[in-house]
Amino acid sequence: MTTNYRAFAVGLLLCLSSSANSVDLVINRDIDYESLSRNTLRSIFSMRMTQWPNGKPIRVFVMGDKTSQHADFSKHVLGVFPHQLRRAWNRQIYSGMGQAPMKVNTESEMLEQIENTPGAIGYLTEDYINERVRKLSVE
Amino acid sequence: MSVYGSSPLNKCWAMRLLALLLLSVNGLSASQLDQLDGALQVHGFLTQAYVKTTENSFFGDSQDGSWDFRELGINSSYRFTPSTMASVQLLSRRAGEMYDGSLDLDYAQLDSTIYTADANRVGIIVGRYKNPFGLYNDTRDVAATRPGIFMPQAIYWDRVRNMVLSNDGAQLFGDMQVDEHRFSIRLIGGKTPIDENVEKSYLNPLVDPEMEQDGLTLGGRLLYEWDGGRFNLAYSSAQLTLDAETSMLPDGEIEIDYRVLSAQYNSGSWSLTLEYMQEPLNYSGFGGVMDAGDTTLDGYYLQGTYRLWDDLELFARYEESHYDKEDKRGKKTAQRLGLEAHNFYSRVSTLGLLWEVTEGLIVRSEFSQVDGTIFLSNLENPPPNERSRNWNLFSLLVSYSF
Repeated sequence: MTTNYRAFAVGLLLCLSSSANSVDLVINRDIDYESLSRNTLRSIFSMRMTQWPNGKPIRVFVMGDKTSQHADFSKHVLGVFPHQLRRAWNRQIYSGMGQAPMKVNTESEMLEQIENTPGAIGYLTEDYINERVRKLSVE
Repeated sequence: MSVYGSSPLNKCWAMRLLALLLLSVNGLSASQLDQLDGALQVHGFLTQAYVKTTENSFFGDSQDGSWDFRELGINSSYRFTPSTMASVQLLSRRAGEMYDGSLDLDYAQLDSTIYTADANRVGIIVGRYKNPFGLYNDTRDVAATRPGIFMPQAIYWDRVRNMVLSNDGAQLFGDMQVDEHRFSIRLIGGKTPIDENVEKSYLNPLVDPEMEQDGLTLGGRLLYEWDGGRFNLAYSSAQLTLDAETSMLPDGEIEIDYRVLSAQYNSGSWSLTLEYMQEPLNYSGFGGVMDAGDTTLDGYYLQGTYRLWDDLELFARYEESHYDKEDKRGKKTAQRLGLEAHNFYSRVSTLGLLWEVTEGLIVRSEFSQVDGTIFLSNLENPPPNERSRNWNLFSLLVSYSF
């Protein structure tokens, strides 16, 4: 029993700590959305959906596969592992069916790109989000 | 004659040129490469494998340990508008005696989305495109996307790779998303680049077969994905007819049907894949000599992978191929055609390890135990009855992609 409680407490702690650092979906302010569905997000981040309903190109920004931000976004928002997403990109890139997302190295760079690139979409932790980008909820 | 492949001189400089191109492109920073907000992209890959077999030759002179399995590719894509993209890939592939490493145009296509609404779209692709067969055919030469060092031969034959690899023609595609369900359809029509591997697999190399396609390859794939790819189900099919000339027999015709049923379940850390292939073959003409060759080939594989850590994956695979689906151990076919039974089936058990060192660098190692010789190439092995029924295969692969 004790072990069970301990495991539960550790699990709870892990959940809390990861949600404290969790990332949110952000887009360039010119895209007029308040929320997007998880299925639409999956199409966007697997690089299969290439334009917003107003016809503007979608510019996808991601951080490295092994960063905690990318892992968190993949697993908790999209519901897939980073290696699955990477494979989906590779399948498109090397068959001529699609392109790779743009990679940024830091959250500051992510913020700058989302702010300045029309049609941009990415993710940021709470601390980096400001009024120059639009934070979206996931349906 | 082959559309692919060319002179030995060509193959040497092709590999060097491509390697040089890959290295120089890779030396540039991502921002220099991804010009125009990522609308223009350049990607590539370099793969080198080592293959050792106890008996028989597979991807080179593998009994002595072969380094003759090497793949270099470079591609570029440009998105003119969100709905129009052009892409081209050059490939140099050395695969033992089957492919000599000369430079091939892997694909060169223009892709236009005619209708789009959210995740739904309808479009057309024209040019040379990779055929969307099964789960892996369109990126079968890219180590980072393959389910192992070698493609499961039960479905994705290397000895007749060009028969299903690509098409010169048009492809219609449509995607539809309804809640968690995604339906995708691809319809293909075009000419298949036939090569010597195909010619010398469907007819005995001793009769110097030369083949030309009669009409077009028609086919396609229906794919259903549930919950972002947690479960995938696909049916693929293609039909083609080859007109053949030989040095000994009257002319003839070979009708080939190729059908694949695919199912895959992906959970976060493990995945299970099953693919089943059926290929009815029908010989006509040849003065009736080849009528005994009529058959329905089939094969399947079951692969399970388990991710131990973020970057380390284990897999196990079992596959079976049969020259005649009614004769799983090849005995009846052996009697009919007067060859040893092991030439008409294969059963392979494989254990493998994948290590993703970085985002672009992977290392794979695999061991297979094989009973049967059906997928061995006529181009790199002695006559069928001199091949060994039981053999083992060890391989190691390093691949870098960007």
